[in-house]
Amino acid sequence: MVIVLIVMFAATLVYFFLSERVSNFIWLLAVQGVILFGIAFNNLLHIQPLGLILILLETLIVKAIVIPWFLNRLRQKNELKRVHESQIPVFYSLIIISAILIGSFLLSYTIDNEIIQLRFFTVALATVIGGMYFIVIHKNIFSHLVGFLIIENGTFLLSLAVGGEMPFLVSLAVLLDVLIAVLVIGVFLNKVKDTFDTISVSKLNKLKD
Amino acid sequence: MIFIFLGIALTLSILISLFPNRIVFATGSFFYVLLHATLTVYSYNKLGIYDSVYLRFDSLAVLLNALLSILLIPTIFHANLYFRRYVKDVRKEAQFVSAMIILASAISSVYYAENIVVMWVSIEITTLAVSFLIYHNRYETPLEAAWKYLFLSSVGIAIAFLGILILATQSASSESANLSVSYLASVASQMDPFFLKTAFILILTGYSVKLNVFPLFAATIDAKTVAPSPVNAIISTALVNAGFVAVFRVYSIVNQTETNSWAQNVLLITGLISISLATIQLFRIKRYKRMFAFSSMEHVALILIALSVGKAGYYAALLHLVFHTLVKGGLFFQFGQVRAFFHSGWIKDSGGYFVLNGTGSLAFLLGILSILAIPPSGLFISEFLIFKALFSGGYLVVGIFVLALLTVIIYVIVSKTMHLLFAEIPATFKPEAAFVNRFESVSQFILFAAVIYLGFNPPNVLTQLIHQTIQLLN
Repeated sequence: MVIVLIVMFAATLVYFFLSERVSNFIWLLAVQGVILFGIAFNNLLHIQPLGLILILLETLIVKAIVIPWFLNRLRQKNELKRVHESQIPVFYSLIIISAILIGSFLLSYTIDNEIIQLRFFTVALATVIGGMYFIVIHKNIFSHLVGFLIIENGTFLLSLAVGGEMPFLVSLAVLLDVLIAVLVIGVFLNKVKDTFDTISVSKLNKLKD
Repeated sequence: MIFIFLGIALTLSILISLFPNRIVFATGSFFYVLLHATLTVYSYNKLGIYDSVYLRFDSLAVLLNALLSILLIPTIFHANLYFRRYVKDVRKEAQFVSAMIILASAISSVYYAENIVVMWVSIEITTLAVSFLIYHNRYETPLEAAWKYLFLSSVGIAIAFLGILILATQSASSESANLSVSYLASVASQMDPFFLKTAFILILTGYSVKLNVFPLFAATIDAKTVAPSPVNAIISTALVNAGFVAVFRVYSIVNQTETNSWAQNVLLITGLISISLATIQLFRIKRYKRMFAFSSMEHVALILIALSVGKAGYYAALLHLVFHTLVKGGLFFQFGQVRAFFHSGWIKDSGGYFVLNGTGSLAFLLGILSILAIPPSGLFISEFLIFKALFSGGYLVVGIFVLALLTVIIYVIVSKTMHLLFAEIPATFKPEAAFVNRFESVSQFILFAAVIYLGFNPPNVLTQLIHQTIQLLN
């Protein structure tokens, strides 16, 4: 079951690079949130109930509902539909993300550590690198926010790969921190659109000397 | 105690933003400075004791928190001047003070954090507070800077978190991840060198955004270019120190293993790339704040280079950190006056400051001489110790290369300063609009004089705290 979910998660990662519609990005993030919920639920049943509730809250409520809802509001307010501005054609991006996945797979299986769960680690590593690549190839700040959230999802998956349970208070602080960061980034995105009348990074160049 | 401090600080911050009234935030900020100083004194008396599982009163934390307590005093005064000059809206002023309290508290929390995830959370809070402080006046350029800072910092912090997770895999227990620095240091020798190296690289890369060094320095430079001077005085000093603490804690873990020489090489390369980039970029700058931002990058690079030398450089690195904090804070306060005088931060819009404002120009000149480590500045002593460590450690080529770069940096910064002091008075200058408070330079003179005094006659308490901090590495 977990393997199926991990494969689905990897598929969503590839689909991010196929898609050009902003609404698809939001859906994909919501789907990733649900998949992470499934993975976490399967993998962490043995931990303290409070910790488990928190992790499920993080995935199902925050990652699958709150953040996509918030992004959707941003999309509607700023009238975002399609992003055509990827600097690299979709075909090449597909090849690159496939290479990232294969590279992560090969790298992961050179690791000899009994604590790390390699089935998670492989996709987690690819997701983090994929998220960074997503930021690099896009020129608008909404896509950058999506890339940041992909990295966050990769980080979450990596924390499952590590297997260790963090203290409840620490987990709660991390959750609130990430949530507030995303909300604040979103608010700033609105301000950028209102002030510059665009969300393209090419217009954010007034600081250079 | 620290949880109580954080709780009171949060309450104060909320109260100030809820009741935007000058008396409320003046009283509140005064009370906060007193509270912060109390925490410093209390933690000094409890040196070496755990405040909780997550926080600890250690010498590095006490030393840097004391510096922040000192800097907060002039920050209140200069923030008040800043409000009178640029804000004039009590609601925005209250929000500014409120965010500043959050920032200072989060920085203190980074200093005292014993658990590296608590440290990570506190660093993320500093990002949010700084973004707000940059943009609090709702102008276009600060918005761009705030956005870039917020985004790049968040990505950097996510990268650092990856490093923390990798470190968690090495914490020897599969049941629960114990991420306290002392525990990680105690089990460091059992860690897999590959994972330890990966974690160190990721954490250094992620926190480079706070340290203002290569690779993620760009957003920090932009943020400092537009941030108000009182904010700059904190983010160029105390916040940089927070980044240093974060890297230092991880370095103290790596230092327990045979990987330490590899980590020192990484610090050396980071330092050398950063100081080289700062030197190149200084030729391009057209604004004073940008010049100071790259100057901070240069000094942090020197600190990393000193750390990379090993035991011989630790004392010099920490002393340099202390002196840089005091001098850079003072310089930003003084530049607040220059900016208000010429109504511009651009170099081309300034000139004749020596004739127009003798006291202010003397303070500025003293600050520049201090930051360039020209005697009698205390930074001269710390830089001398850094080069002594480099040459005695066999880093002859590195030492000569860094000396050459410092010579270039001195030339560039002095030439820009000469323009401010002695160039023709710009046509855009309006004498009737130049507002100077007669007490404005007092705090800067005190800070610069303190650095001169501490350089020649460091008190026992300072040297003891530095030596105890060095012990944390062993």
